[in-house]
Amino acid sequence: MSRAFPVFSVTFALIYLACVQYNLAPFTYHPELMQWGLGVQPPRQGPAMYWFGWLTTATLGAAALGALSLLVPVTLTRRVWAGFVWLVPVLVIAAFVYILRGYFLR
Amino acid sequence: MFSFLLILHGLAAVALLGALTHQTISVWWPARTRTGSFVSSLRSVPSMTYTNAVIVLFLVTAVIGSVIYTEYRVAIRVTLQDYRLYIPEGAFELKEHVAAIAFGLLPAYWYYWKAPPAKERAFTRAMVTTLIALIVWYNFLVGHVVNDIRGFGS
Repeated sequence: MSRAFPVFSVTFALIYLACVQYNLAPFTYHPELMQWGLGVQPPRQGPAMYWFGWLTTATLGAAALGALSLLVPVTLTRRVWAGFVWLVPVLVIAAFVYILRGYFLR
Repeated sequence: MFSFLLILHGLAAVALLGALTHQTISVWWPARTRTGSFVSSLRSVPSMTYTNAVIVLFLVTAVIGSVIYTEYRVAIRVTLQDYRLYIPEGAFELKEHVAAIAFGLLPAYWYYWKAPPAKERAFTRAMVTTLIALIVWYNFLVGHVVNDIRGFGS
């Protein structure tokens, strides 16, 4: 089962990036009110936090894809370059730097 | 309460930094023989024994950090915006995202350290360890700087 772990890590980074870009949060936290709400909700009183929701979506999505990867024969998965496990997260971090560039270029 | 949690978060982060830094150094620059010097001792730690401790410390640090993060969004981020401190605010935004990516990397990190040692896996293991170490160092420094800007207990 543990051979699904590298798949989890690679897909987690990609799904998390999609979650942030398209705000795919199954719930919202309103820290000022200390309230949780279902789905993506606009700020009520104070800011709305989607980060916990993004983490949940990415974890569930990556776990599902990791489980599905177990259906692929080991002989095939051995041919996939192991370096994707660090290269993909590095590229996702670079994408976040690009997304957040406005903070650093003002 | 948040000040207490912030101190706990910092202490857990220091322990995590120490373990990960040791592991990263020893994985890239292992000592063949232990001479007793400080550098030799630093390089010759049994890296594999650090793995579970790193995962537990990361999770403890992250859970406490996620509680403090709610206070950051309510009280500290507003201050950074009021003073137009865009770079620290952006650096903290990046911190939340790279922390999430490091969290996602933990299963692969465990897998590459626990799997039987194979030469073809050594480079991947070193790269995953280094990436998590760099993220933890970045998060530690950014958290420290943002805390300095806002000031303890202010």
